[in-house]
Amino acid sequence: MHAVGALESGLCRYVLISYGQSARSGNSMMRMLYHMTRNDDAVYGHFGAAGGYALAARRAMHEFGTGPETWKQIAVGQRAWANRNPRAIMADQELTEESYMASKYMIEPFRLFDNCLMNDGGRAVILTSVERARDLRHPVVSIMGLGQHNPSSDLATADFLAGPTGAKRAGEAAFAMAGISRNDIDACQIYDCFTYTVEITLQDYGFFGPGEGKDWFSGGTIAPGGRMPVNTSGGQLSEAYYMGLTPLSEAVMQLMGRCGKRQLGPETSTKSPGIILCSDNGGILQAHACYILRRI
Amino acid sequence: MTLKDKYAVVGVGYTPQGRIPERTTLSFHLEACANAIADAGLRREDIDGLIAYRYFPPSSGEDEVTPYLVAEHLGISPAYLFQDAN
Repeated sequence: MHAVGALESGLCRYVLISYGQSARSGNSMMRMLYHMTRNDDAVYGHFGAAGGYALAARRAMHEFGTGPETWKQIAVGQRAWANRNPRAIMADQELTEESYMASKYMIEPFRLFDNCLMNDGGRAVILTSVERARDLRHPVVSIMGLGQHNPSSDLATADFLAGPTGAKRAGEAAFAMAGISRNDIDACQIYDCFTYTVEITLQDYGFFGPGEGKDWFSGGTIAPGGRMPVNTSGGQLSEAYYMGLTPLSEAVMQLMGRCGKRQLGPETSTKSPGIILCSDNGGILQAHACYILRRI
Repeated sequence: MTLKDKYAVVGVGYTPQGRIPERTTLSFHLEACANAIADAGLRREDIDGLIAYRYFPPSSGEDEVTPYLVAEHLGISPAYLFQDAN
């Protein structure tokens, strides 16, 4: 959104968005996560982001009856995409519902495979005007709509942990700008720090009602061959963690048709994508960005 | 005026990923940026805006990765520089 603002204001013509991290081998991300907790939270065992999202997920279990039966389908579906992506960190490791359920709890109710990866690496994207993009080498992937909403409140006072999160208003803004509805979306690339984040985001976007995710995800809905592919690189659960740039870069590559064995369309028995919905998320569901991309 | 279909994503830059202890955070920024510029078919002189996405404190033993540092090492002098928040 900042990049679009800079372009729209005429301050520049080509914006490079850069990201790199040593989250696995260095301690930068851990230093940030330690600072996320405030006051006396740590006394009660709340450290970093996992504890906060675990609280949110626990609240959602109480509010609308979600749980591991829903989340395992997200973890397994995304892993099946990673198994088709040679770049994915988990490319060679298969995941079944049984091995998901047998994995240890990291922070209840989250098991190991509910958590995203922590990796070293980097990712970057470049934005410019559609007009200039037509002179470049790839098919043009435009931003059709975008929206942001920031509930901001500290975890202790938050009332959005079981939804509606910022996804609701951010999604409404993006759909309004794009002038389309959910039925026009061919695939989603959703910020997935935890499996529950995928569920609550799609729920707040209106793909299903509270608690209906268990049925919506069942039968491989988001996996290769499914009717609504989600996180087709494997996402941050199974490809690599670059926050919003994991979903954004994958949406762009899919719309350009550059995804090889995981390419949406005949290769994976899915619909050839014209429009892909993406999300980014900050804090403990405290900030949300939604953007809709299409190939034109 | 609507922003719909006015802007496009024209390049993506990847790097090796996983557990790579011998690499600095800055080196991942630079490789990803260089690859994105090449992927888009642009020259680095074309890049006149740079956003450092998100913010993390530096790892022990490393300097802070600011957008200034990324620009300097890429050899570009953008008109627009921005450091995102976490």
